[in-house]
Formats: sequence, C-alpha cells, structure tokens
Amino acid sequence: MDKTLLRRGAYAVAALIIVALVIGLYKAKTDAARTEAHVRQLQHQIDESEADLRALRAEIAAQESPARIEALAEDHLGVTVGSEGAALPESALKQRLPPPRTPGPAE
Amino acid sequence: MRPFNAASILAPREATLETLGEAAPARNRVRFLAIGVFAVLLLLAGRAVQLAFSGDPLAEPRRNAGIAVTPRADIVDRNGVLLATTVRAYALTAAPSRVWNPPETAEALARMFPELDRAATIRRLNDTSRQLVYLRRSLTEEERANVHALGLAGIGFEAEDRRIYPQGQMAAHTLGFTDVDLNPLAGVERGLDRQIRAAGAVGRPVRLSIDVRMQYALEIELDVAARAARASNAAAILLDARTGETLALTSWPRFDPNDAGAASDDARRDRVAGDVHELGSTIKPFTVAMALQEQVTTAREFFDLSQAFDIDGSVIEDHEPIRGLASLRDILARSSNIGAARLALRLGAVRQRAYLERLGLTQATRLELGFNEAPLAPHARGRRDVAGLGFGYGLAATPATLAAAYTVFANQGALVAPTLIARAPDAEIERRQVFAPEVTRQVLAYMRAAVVDGTGRAADVPGLAIAGKTGTAEKLGEESVYVESRNFSSFAGVFPAHDPRYVIVVALDDTGEGAAGGMVAAPVVARTLRRIAPMLGLRVEPSAPAR
Repeated sequence: MDKTLLRRGAYAVAALIIVALVIGLYKAKTDAARTEAHVRQLQHQIDESEADLRALRAEIAAQESPARIEALAEDHLGVTVGSEGAALPESALKQRLPPPRTPGPAE
Repeated sequence: MRPFNAASILAPREATLETLGEAAPARNRVRFLAIGVFAVLLLLAGRAVQLAFSGDPLAEPRRNAGIAVTPRADIVDRNGVLLATTVRAYALTAAPSRVWNPPETAEALARMFPELDRAATIRRLNDTSRQLVYLRRSLTEEERANVHALGLAGIGFEAEDRRIYPQGQMAAHTLGFTDVDLNPLAGVERGLDRQIRAAGAVGRPVRLSIDVRMQYALEIELDVAARAARASNAAAILLDARTGETLALTSWPRFDPNDAGAASDDARRDRVAGDVHELGSTIKPFTVAMALQEQVTTAREFFDLSQAFDIDGSVIEDHEPIRGLASLRDILARSSNIGAARLALRLGAVRQRAYLERLGLTQATRLELGFNEAPLAPHARGRRDVAGLGFGYGLAATPATLAAAYTVFANQGALVAPTLIARAPDAEIERRQVFAPEVTRQVLAYMRAAVVDGTGRAADVPGLAIAGKTGTAEKLGEESVYVESRNFSSFAGVFPAHDPRYVIVVALDDTGEGAAGGMVAAPVVARTLRRIAPMLGLRVEPSAPAR
C-alpha cells in the first residue's frame, strides 16, 4: 500500500478518535452534571426527611414523657403513679374492675 | 527577486543516496512519535468511554445515605428514650436594601416576637451598608410560616440547626444546653462535647446511664419535698454502685433547657456536682468504718456518751444525749457526735486524712458534666478539726462525691467511680478497695439500724431493706458562726441492705430549724424508692391504704 495513503488513513483514524473523544467527554460531563444535580436533589430530600424524622421523634418523646403519661393517668384513670392510692386492697380492686361477663350459650 | 516557481517546489526531489541515508532515522522517529500519540489518544478515548457509561470509579465515595449526619448527636437514656436532639430551625434575616418600610416591618415583627427591640430592629433594617442582617435565631417551622404569611419585602430565612430537649425540664441540669450556634454551655452537652460531635458525624446517639422513669420519680419527689421544706435548693442522685452508672440525678429548682436563657442563674445551677456543703452526719458511717478497719475499736466496745465532750475549749454535744452505755450501733443509729468525735480522735489526723482521700472525699468527682466542684477539704490542724471531721464538719463536698464514697458499702469495701455513660454489660469496672468486706458488712448493719429504729426511720420502705444515715449540718451564718435556723439536711443510703447494689443521696439546702435530714430528706428516699423499686426488679410491700 502506498505510504501516503497509509499516512492519510492514520490521520483519518486519529481525527475520528479525537471526534469520539470530544463527543465522549461532552457526554460524560453532561451526564455527570445531570447525575450530580440528581444526587443533590436526592440528598436534599434525604436531609429534609431526616429533619422531619428527627422532629417527629422529638414529638413522640415529648408525648411519651413520664410527666405527660402521669398527668393523663391522673386525669383519665384517676390514679397517681406510686401513690398510696395506687396500692389498692383486694376489696377495692373489685370495685374498679368491670363486672364479670356471663358466658353466653355459644361461648 | 527570484520569480516564484511552484513547480519547482511541488516536484518531488530526486533522492540521492546521501539524503536517503539521513531520512531513515527521521522517519523512524516520526513513526515512534505517531505510535506514542496514538497510544495516548486511545487511553484518553477509553477513559472517556468509561466516564460516559460507568461513572468515575476514582471519585471519593459519598457518605452513606442511610446515615443522618448531624453536628451534634442525639442523647438518649439507657433505654433509648430521646433526651436531646437537633432539629431544623430558621434564622430570620433581612436584606436592608430590599426592605420597603423599615418602621412598619419592625412593628410587624415586634408584634410576632415581643422580645425584639423595635428601635434596634429599625436600625438594622436601615443599615444598607450590609447585604444581610440577622434579626432572630432558632425560629420554628410554625413561626417561619407565620412570618412568611406577613409578606414583608426583604425579609427571609436561613435554615439552621437547633438543639431541643423533648423531655422539657426533666434531667435539665444533667443534659445542660447549648447556645444558638450549638456550642455547649453546661451539663453533658459540655462534658461529653467531643463524644457528641463524633457520634453525630457517624449518625449514632450518645447513650447515657440515666433512666427517665427513675429520673422523673426522683425529680417529682424532690420537688415536692423542697417546696414543702422551703429549701433554697436541693439535689439528689441515685447510683448503681456495682457499675458506677448514675440512674438518676437532679437539682432543684428546675428549669427548661429549651428556654435556658429565661431561667435564672440560680435555677440553672447544677447542685449535684456543682455545689459543696459540709455534709454533717452522713460522714459518720465512714468514721465508724475507719475505726473498725484500723482496729481502734470493736463491735463489742461500749462508750459512755452521756456527757458533753470538751476538746480544747470546744464543746461537742449530741442533739439527743444517749443515756447509759452506747455501742457503735447506737453511735450511728442515734447519730452521736460525741461518739464519732471520740472515734476520730483515736484514729488521728494522718490516718483519717488517708481514708478521706481514698474515699475520694478530697477530690472532685469526675462525672461527665460541664463542671465538677472540688471538695473543700483542708488538712486538720488540731484535735478539734479531727473530731469535727469525724461527724461531718470541716469538709465540704458535693452530693455526687458523697454518693461515690457510699459505693464502698455496696461493693464490699471497694470504691467505684460514678459515670453518666451507659456501660456495656461486659465492661470492666475499676474498683479500689478501701475497707475490708467484713468492716462494711458491720457498718451496713449499723446503717440498717439507723433506718429501722434510729434517725432515718422515715426512709424505711416495707419489703425493701434500706440502710442509711441522716445528716443535718448547720450552715455558717453571716458572721461565720454556725446557726441552728439554717440547715443542710440530707440522707445517704444503700439498698437492698441484704445485698446492697444501689446508692441514693438526697439533700435539701437551707431548711429551717428542726428540719433535720430524717424529717425532710429521708421521706423523699422512701417515696422515691416506692416508685422506682419495681423498675429495679425489687419487691416492695404495698402500703396500707389510707383510712
């Protein structure tokens, strides 16, 4: 084969590689930027969710605090935790419990 | 000028042998260069394709999306109950150049946040030399929405972190608090700052040894007692003496760490590890133990304590003199100052000091709080000082220090340092032997007697054997003279007495005349233990119902 043709062929291949390089780099950078933006968006969503989760966990802890539970028990059940009234004699327990159910024929 | 002859330039030159001989190496160099350029281009092309389709394997790994990284870790109790966390908050900002009407804007904001100084806000809103000014920090989501609804021009928000304490006042002195920039200012927030930041970076919580259920019981009972006794302040601590873990500790008056700035310095002050007091008779069990350990007395010895004891002109008396002969049991059960002074004098200053040091009563306790006050423990300068130390005068320490020393009665004579960090079940516990096991066993029996038929009867809980000692130390008045009308009233004990594991210390400061430790501190112990015994797996006999 003519050397000149060979050289020209080599130049053409080199030019193709350079074009491929440029296109590849462009695509890589575009994809990277798009992915980066997506990751940032996801990260933001995660951070927001985490912040909401922490706030919810704090709310749960406040709702379940012993002070609140004790106040609810006193208001709704009429018992004070650990008080003299909490240790009921057996006779008093009967008054607090609902009356025994009479079993029906099917039971 | 030579005429331009293109043909002569384009026409192939005739190669001579000489020129051919020179061209061969040059062609080789060009070939090598071309191959090199091709190789580089191929590498670059390969890398471009790799980047395009498979991402960059050399890029730094991102943090695990499953981990919530925060500047400060959550603080939880030993059961995982949330005590402190970091939530989203907002800083209220303004761009002065974009604010239309500073006085009206300031007026609208002041209506929403009354603590905002209207004049100062107008001044800031008029300061056009600055691009952005901060008007208020730590706004909640709701406050942000309310401000947003006002539609004020130039007013904006910046997201920031805010430290909150969901349990409110509970364990406030223990947890401490931070400033708006999350810099720790008090409590474990300060004492464990490095660990809290490190744990926050990896998204895991810091687990304390306290139990919120016990903490609540202790706080409520101390609160009721301190109000009833009209104390100026109070403190209480509950330890697992085997491991040194602090299960509950509280100071009174209380405050809300979510609004620490609104509380007074007095309310924010930690009394458990931050305030020292002359401890009074709660020291006596140590005096008896020292005397038994050094064999300067025996359990079979009897003392005549019916007469006041004169030491170098200072007269020591008992509040209720013991008629007849008294044993070591009587000295503790009936809290005899004369008996304790005599035992202390038999020991002497050097041995007494050595024991006080080994009990940790001369050094600050190393609880992981922001601040631990060191005891005031000057060396005894004479017989009077030695005698005074024997029944709790001349040495001022914190309730935490006293509780730490009492661990010897729950560990067969060995001291275990208290901690606020939850220990692993297999963690190695450092113990320092101070007394022989038989000595602490003997003293424990005397302390049980103090609760069964001595000054600490109000601490007794049926079914739960408590052993302890009351303390009533008169406080120094304005002229450095002890006054009877101001007392530091306390109770220190261990339970259950047959197999002691837990230490409890309750102290109320500035109680009035006659408000002895057995009257105001011991009942707090009984009420608290009735509530928390089931949590510790201990059985308590129910009290007889009120008729």
